[in-house]
Amino acid sequence: MFRTDAPIWRSIAVIAIICVARPALGHHSFAMFDTGTQVTLTGVVTAFEWTNPHVYIELDVPDGRGVKHWTIELGSTSILMRGGWKFNTLKGGDQVSAVVNPLRNGEPGSLLSRITLPDGRVLGNGGPPPAAAPSPADANRKP
Amino acid sequence: MRTDRSTGAALILMTGLIVLLETFSSGQSSAKPGLDGAWAPFTGGRGANAALAPPPAGPLVLKPEYAKRYDAQRAADAEATKRGEPPPSAAVSCIPYGMPRMMSVASYPVEILQTPGQVTIVTEAFSEVRRVYLNQPQLPADEIPPGYYGHSVGRWENDTLIVDTFGIKESVPGYQNMPHSSQMRITERIRLVAPDVLHDQITIDDPVVLEKPVTYTLAYRKLAGYKMVEFVCENNREYIDEQGKVRLRLGGK
Repeated sequence: MFRTDAPIWRSIAVIAIICVARPALGHHSFAMFDTGTQVTLTGVVTAFEWTNPHVYIELDVPDGRGVKHWTIELGSTSILMRGGWKFNTLKGGDQVSAVVNPLRNGEPGSLLSRITLPDGRVLGNGGPPPAAAPSPADANRKP
Repeated sequence: MRTDRSTGAALILMTGLIVLLETFSSGQSSAKPGLDGAWAPFTGGRGANAALAPPPAGPLVLKPEYAKRYDAQRAADAEATKRGEPPPSAAVSCIPYGMPRMMSVASYPVEILQTPGQVTIVTEAFSEVRRVYLNQPQLPADEIPPGYYGHSVGRWENDTLIVDTFGIKESVPGYQNMPHSSQMRITERIRLVAPDVLHDQITIDDPVVLEKPVTYTLAYRKLAGYKMVEFVCENNREYIDEQGKVRLRLGGK
């Protein structure tokens, strides 16, 4: 018998949600990205643009012969906030590892699937539908 | 003593009149409680109360001369998507949706504000704003400049806010991307079906394009305390190239 509140199960649940969740943007079709292919990019953030209609991560990725630059598209700020993102989640110089769906045309652009942040947290590209804010009593409660 | 009795009777009569007037005018009240606040799209699904989910949409039946081109375009868009070529659309260029599509953009919430004589609806996606003027007649067609939101008037019928919208520009993408003429009219019946669930039943009529009006319902659930997030389309990296294909402008160059 396992305890459902054990951290390992919580972590598995979070990862499952991240893997299953697709960004619900409504801004455009994602057909230009090959969502059937996943590529892992490990590199250094050169810019984190907290903007709409999409947030972007610019990433320098060492490839053995030098550095290849990649652009990673994310959801909108609103949708990312639901998934735990903040405007200052990343900054230039951060080392990250991102799993992305590359552009079908072969250019170094991609759609984020999930990312491992410098502090080890894993975030997806969005979150669940918006939820009501906690009541002031809940907000003051210590975790 | 007789004067006191007369005064009392007059007071009772006046009170009764006020109650009666309020009762009869309730259908015309400019502000009803319950709609204020942020609302998120609610589609039902597993675990949800099926009675509160939106009923299925009615059929979209275009007149034959429009149906042929519409069906061909839908098929072409589906094929292009399969090839990895998103169909070019106004949204790719960050142009707001307008009515009626602004009322259902993915999972983005809408906010309703009730003030005397007006109901204002603000969407999170693209920060679109529409204003519904209460208890006013609709303007004549030639008084409404065609636009993304047209001109909306509303009235309360008991607990239902009925909104009439006219004057949507023909270039504004329609429901299910249907074509529409300058004669398209949108009628909404907005009401609470539960204390925290709102339905917006939308009927689109267009005597030029449609064989018959199409009706569908959007459902929303209340987001108590939610603060709407700003959405300014300042960094749109997608564009439509010379071949009409959607491309992504890459950074770092």
